Amino acid sequence: MNTAIAVTDLGKRFGAKWALQDCTFALPEGRVCGLVGANGAGKTTLLRLLCGLSRPSTGRVEVAGQAPHDSAQFLSEIGYLAQDIPLYRRWSVADHLRMGAHLNRRWDDRAAHDRLRALRIPLDQRVGTLSGGQRAQVALAMALAKRPRVLMLDEPVAALDPLARRNFLSTLADAVADGDLTVMLSSHLVTDLERVCDHLVVLADSRTVLADGLDEVLASHRLLTGARRDTTGVERDHTVLRIERTHRQVSMWVRLNGALHDPHWEVTELSLEEIMLAYLGLGADHGVEPVVDGVPA
Amino acid sequence: MTWFMWRQHRVQVMIAAALVVAFAVPVWITGRHLADLLQACRTGTTCGGIFQGYQGFNTVVDLTVIVPLLIGVFWGATIIGRELESGTATLAWTQSVTRRRWLISKLGVLFGFTLLCAGAVTGLVTWWSNTHNAIVETRFAGLQFDIQAIAPIGYALFASALGLAAGVLWGRALPAMATTIGGFVAVRLIVELWARPHYLEPITRILSFAKSDGIPNGASAISTEVTRYGHVVSGPMPAPAQCISATSRPEMNECMHRLGYAIRATYQPAGRFWTFQWIEFGIFAGLAAVLTAVGVIAVLRREG
Repeated sequence: MNTAIAVTDLGKRFGAKWALQDCTFALPEGRVCGLVGANGAGKTTLLRLLCGLSRPSTGRVEVAGQAPHDSAQFLSEIGYLAQDIPLYRRWSVADHLRMGAHLNRRWDDRAAHDRLRALRIPLDQRVGTLSGGQRAQVALAMALAKRPRVLMLDEPVAALDPLARRNFLSTLADAVADGDLTVMLSSHLVTDLERVCDHLVVLADSRTVLADGLDEVLASHRLLTGARRDTTGVERDHTVLRIERTHRQVSMWVRLNGALHDPHWEVTELSLEEIMLAYLGLGADHGVEPVVDGVPA
Repeated sequence: MTWFMWRQHRVQVMIAAALVVAFAVPVWITGRHLADLLQACRTGTTCGGIFQGYQGFNTVVDLTVIVPLLIGVFWGATIIGRELESGTATLAWTQSVTRRRWLISKLGVLFGFTLLCAGAVTGLVTWWSNTHNAIVETRFAGLQFDIQAIAPIGYALFASALGLAAGVLWGRALPAMATTIGGFVAVRLIVELWARPHYLEPITRILSFAKSDGIPNGASAISTEVTRYGHVVSGPMPAPAQCISATSRPEMNECMHRLGYAIRATYQPAGRFWTFQWIEFGIFAGLAAVLTAVGVIAVLRREG
């Protein structure tokens, strides 16, 4: 399987502050990857680095086999949808599609028209008068008509109502099903991620703390509960994300790095949301080694 | 890219073209009329009152002094500043054309438009002022220097480049417009008041009271001082007691001359008009080049 995105020790500093640090992961081609993190965790910074809008301070990035740079050859391989969905508000939808046709070598005008017509978005209407959901669809149609190999979406559904959000994600899912498009999508809505993603990258405090397939993530995280006792054995063999102790009982949110030998623990499956919350709760001094593709780094 | 640029800027281009035409028509009509009157004046006798009724239009022509500033504020400051502000620059930069090519197109649009607009307005004003220049030679002095010939084109290039750089550095249109206004007015005043009189060593002459002597026609006066036996008389000078009895201007002048008074005048002669125009153009075109380079580097280095 080819790698669509490979990131090694990536770091980005703005002045004295690191917006992203020690970021390492690889995303296989054809995956839809959810990028998760609290506000300010570095999601936007990472996406901008991936499409070459920003340059890394340290480390390496490779997207579709190239280091991001200002060339037509690279730019035609990527699609990017910025967080605030910038469009020319006074232009009609058709103007935007024409712009895309003029500025891109590969441009699937037919697909863009069909997609927007199916959504009943009037092509001759000014973009500024469309609803937020329709604008997001126009921007997505433009990004898809470029026929990119890697598509980066920065919180595309954050501002949309639930119905518009579902429509947007189903358009995206259809596009992914059509070909070998790789998508990286940042969001903090876990239900959306579960619907479309099959891979996850989690950023906490500007570092990658998890990067793995969705199924692997669900399979390897468990909640252990039991009577209060020594936990050093578990902490040595597995990655403990969070511990809660009461007088009688201990609860541990754990990533299992192998079989659990102690039969005294009661083992419960965790939902994706619970797993994400455990990771997002990790602070700067969490002491948890980042888990990248199942290998503690 | 051509279609993209046209789609993006066609409204501004059409508004500007309409304004230039609206200015050109009355300039053409009145300019031809004035040229006929000048011809009549040269061949015949009727030279008086040529500009009768033209005071209003003269003011309109004088107002073209703000054209470079308008170009800088409404074009230079917005052409990239507004795109950065609305985030649409990111949209353009993630299509399959390089940021470099996008920037070159933007600069082509901006400076092409600047040259066309400023060139058209200045050309019209210069042509229209031909009669004025022939009758009263004042194009080297004051406002006329700023609206005729080649210098206004330099101002316009400077204003555009200043707006461009401010727009890129602020990343927002409104503060960039304000910066353009402030910067343009400041630099224009500094150059006009402190630099321009000294482009070339000015000529200093002693004007005697005895002869009807004055600064030659068409010169740009820098200073006139009253002297007595070669020493400058400073401060307000009351008429000397010996001369108070003078009953006419010539008598007064004669009296002043006898007492050793004279006038020392410093000026730039009329023949240097074009040299000064080119120097002024060169200064502003040079500043424009520096500011454009700043803007270009800032765009290419910009982190989104």
